Amino acid sequence: MSRERSTETGGRGGRTGARMVVSAPGRVAGALLTYLVLGALAVVFLVPLLWMVFASVDTEPSLRAGLPTALTLDHFTAIMTPEIVYRPIWNSVLTCGGAAVITAFCSMLAAYPLSRYNLRFRKPFLYSVLFATGLPITAIMVPVYGMFVQANLLNSLTATTLFLAASTLPFGIWLTKNFIDGIPIALEEAAWVDGASAWQSLRYLVAPLLAPGLAVVGIFTLVTTWGNFFVPFILLTSPEKMPAAVRVFTFFGQYGSVRYGELAAYSLLYTVPVVVLYMVVSRAMGGRFALGGAMKG
Amino acid sequence: MRWARSARWVLPMGPALFLLLAFFAGPILWTVWASLTNAALTGAQAAQTEFVGIANFERLIADTRFREATVLTVLFLVGCVFGQTVLGLTLALLMRNRHGAVRATVGAIVVGAWVVPEVVAGFVWYAFLEREGSFNAILGFFGAEPQNWLFTAPLLAVVLANIWKGTAFSMMTYSAGLSEVPDDLKEAARVDGASSFQVLVHVVLPLLRRTLATTLLLITLQTVQVFTLIFVMTSGGPGARSTTLPLLMYQEALRMGDLGYGTAIALALLVVAGLFSVVYVWMLSREEQR
Amino acid sequence: MRGTPRNTTRAVAAAALLSLVAAGCSSGADRDENTVRVAYQKFGTFIAMDSLMRKVKEEFEADNPDVTVELHAIEAQAEDYQTQVNLMNGSPSEAPDLIYQDTFTINQDADAGYLMPLDDHFDTWEDAELFSEQEAEAVTSLDGTRYGVMLGTDVRGLWYRTDLLEQAGVDTPWEPATWDEVLDAARVVQEEHGDAVVPLNVYSGTPAGEAASLQGFQMLLSGTDDGLFEESSEQWVSSSAGFTESLEFVRTIFDEGLTHDPQDALDANIATVNNEERFPGGEMAISLEGSWATQSWIEGANQPWPEWEEHMEFTRMPTRSGQGEGATSMSGGWALSMGAHATDPDLAWQVMTHTLNQENAVKFAVEGGQIPVRSDVAEDPGFLEAAPKAEQFAELVDITGFRPAYSEYPRVSLAIQEAMEVVMLGEATPEEAAELYSQELESIVGPDNVTDGS
Repeated sequence: MSRERSTETGGRGGRTGARMVVSAPGRVAGALLTYLVLGALAVVFLVPLLWMVFASVDTEPSLRAGLPTALTLDHFTAIMTPEIVYRPIWNSVLTCGGAAVITAFCSMLAAYPLSRYNLRFRKPFLYSVLFATGLPITAIMVPVYGMFVQANLLNSLTATTLFLAASTLPFGIWLTKNFIDGIPIALEEAAWVDGASAWQSLRYLVAPLLAPGLAVVGIFTLVTTWGNFFVPFILLTSPEKMPAAVRVFTFFGQYGSVRYGELAAYSLLYTVPVVVLYMVVSRAMGGRFALGGAMKG
Repeated sequence: MRWARSARWVLPMGPALFLLLAFFAGPILWTVWASLTNAALTGAQAAQTEFVGIANFERLIADTRFREATVLTVLFLVGCVFGQTVLGLTLALLMRNRHGAVRATVGAIVVGAWVVPEVVAGFVWYAFLEREGSFNAILGFFGAEPQNWLFTAPLLAVVLANIWKGTAFSMMTYSAGLSEVPDDLKEAARVDGASSFQVLVHVVLPLLRRTLATTLLLITLQTVQVFTLIFVMTSGGPGARSTTLPLLMYQEALRMGDLGYGTAIALALLVVAGLFSVVYVWMLSREEQR
Repeated sequence: MRGTPRNTTRAVAAAALLSLVAAGCSSGADRDENTVRVAYQKFGTFIAMDSLMRKVKEEFEADNPDVTVELHAIEAQAEDYQTQVNLMNGSPSEAPDLIYQDTFTINQDADAGYLMPLDDHFDTWEDAELFSEQEAEAVTSLDGTRYGVMLGTDVRGLWYRTDLLEQAGVDTPWEPATWDEVLDAARVVQEEHGDAVVPLNVYSGTPAGEAASLQGFQMLLSGTDDGLFEESSEQWVSSSAGFTESLEFVRTIFDEGLTHDPQDALDANIATVNNEERFPGGEMAISLEGSWATQSWIEGANQPWPEWEEHMEFTRMPTRSGQGEGATSMSGGWALSMGAHATDPDLAWQVMTHTLNQENAVKFAVEGGQIPVRSDVAEDPGFLEAAPKAEQFAELVDITGFRPAYSEYPRVSLAIQEAMEVVMLGEATPEEAAELYSQELESIVGPDNVTDGS
């Protein structure tokens, strides 16, 4: 808001001064203000996270974010056990990573004919997929439980993974279709003339070009499912199959108002993998995460 | 060779179709059926589930808790969508044409909030807004009495947390939309003597209309189903002051074990989201035909 | 035609693989006959069951090398624990063989067909005669079938810190005879210690869950002339004078600041913080609490407090104006039950009886702060030494009351918690809250099952 106001005054100054676009002092002031506002916003976004980082290494952690009086790794060592951290995180990797791979792979297969063939049902199908992206997964969890019981799928990591994959699939298909649309068809047509099969052209021509797009789909699936607490909470029953999202919640429920340091340490351990992965992929893609571009349909 | 012609799309689309039908369409149909029964987690109805017609929906209409939850859901929705849009757009606008390092740093921090798992987002905001938390420390600096914001203003608390988490999404879509606004158009307007603000209102925003509309809808659809964040921060309390529809559904279906009634709430949520979704699809399809 | 045979084969293979995966993910369709799955709660200060089951697992597996005892420690508070167990019970292949369960849920779980009748097994068990009558009542369903064996019972009353009361000029041993005397003690503690000490804890509101309903509200209601359920007519009681009087008590303590700040009272972890921090730290003077509170202080607890016996005393909760027996109590208790789909009921029964044998029952009674239901445990010297308050508790067993064990109870209990919560938040007067409760009650149990008590 302040930016608008500042540019407005800058502009007015420009108008009174003989038809200059923006006066030089106005522009500098505007830029300075912009940086100030950006800096302030960044701080606002950062502050809630500080607590997690500081409390996790503070010998006397509290709910208040403050520079630690003395550093310690005790909170980490206290929770670094197979029961509390290792297995739950591994389960998260299995289910969410699995879902990411399945979503990316199935999206590619499904999006290819949607993009390349002139199918009669293409439009209705695409619109159904788009419609499905808007449906709240939370709302169907109770029926999904009923279905899993009937099909004898309750407490199955594989079935939970497939469900997570299915829940992000509509969005994945939509994204991937847009990505494939952006790949020129000429190459494939040439390959077809040379007798290549659709599979071969998908495998050798489209897939390499699509890789960044599929990475976006995978990351998106991973980020949305990694923090999903409700799905595994309902669909899994064995403690040893619980992913970190559920485990860290039970930890919070029991000790949240008592053992801040350990909670912060656990939260950090649980957050770091997905943040690192996100950074690696977005760096690999030239620092720009293409999600926004593909979003507008 | 008709089958072979179909095979070229049926086979590659098979896995996706299977997953979508089994894990998406199936449960939705199941929702409709279950909401017409008295299915329960325990008690006699668990052993013998009966068809009860629209009894659950009659109860829904008469239930003050459902009405309150609907109002809270709408308030939550409006607050989050408004906040995310304003913040996301502001960030996207401010970051245009700025120094690369600044862009990268601010962008990384905002996106960081988006990448943090929802459960952890709940914890850090719980810690932030608690009576002993940092927010009160900051306010205390200006002389304000400390209070537990999760208790005194639970809805505001969850709205703030959700805006914090969701802004990155709006920021990314608006940045992408802005990058497509041709520079020469803006320059032309400037040359005609328009201020930056006027350029924004009269040139940039109209061109951004499409992105704005679709993003608004997508945020709405994401926000209406927020469960984990609220569950962690307030579990719907104190009283029912932050019990939105997903929370109410959880309480009725799982905590009270009333699967039939809980599913009826879920169906209400599905229908509302479905309507939004239809509008979204309709808007995109109009764009495509243009 | 572009779909070459090779392309088709590959796609078929992919699709087949996926459906194979889907088919292969049914988890426990065929369960191992030699595995006994036990589901139990482990939460906050309550680690006694976990400690017991770990011991049982070790011993039983050593004695029976081909058997596995699979432990499902569910870390959630009572209501969420119940939900989780229900979710497991709903699926025959995932249902536990043995379930640690609150006795008041036995009726609804039996109705749902989740539980295995245990009459035949129990009748042939040599230890059966050691169990009390009260035990049999608690685990027998309305139709007279036994569905479990009780691990222990409890009573409720006032725990207090002698030093804090004495400093405020209250004579100890403290034996309040009416509610007013309880409130007066809280008031003088408040005057003496100010904000440093919470004078009186009464669990209230939905986050505390069943603790608010049973330790809090029903401990008050049972001290009035009214009840929750009228046994003679088998109807639920609505808008009674006693209900309003009990809420009045809640309002008094919150209005006068004689208890926690509402925001602390509405913390779901309040019980843990009370017993692990506030009592040992001298920050709380009196608490209307269960007899099991000792489990937080004994050796082996999360935060042991070896000096607790020097500071803590237990006294009976008086009735409102000393009517009736002059004091009151409520009792609950948890049992082990067997899932209806137990793979091998005889084997599960063996694990069950091993868990419930004399030695283990003593261990659980001590670590869980329980009142034994086996006569040979109640008289065990080891138990008596480790449980210095056992005699006081045993006296209360004669006057104690129970929750109405009907399927509707959990919903009614929630309605009670909500009524307390609006009163403690000052959103409604006790009369208005009682009225809200009456409406809620009617919608839960149906107008025909409600009486106004007159």
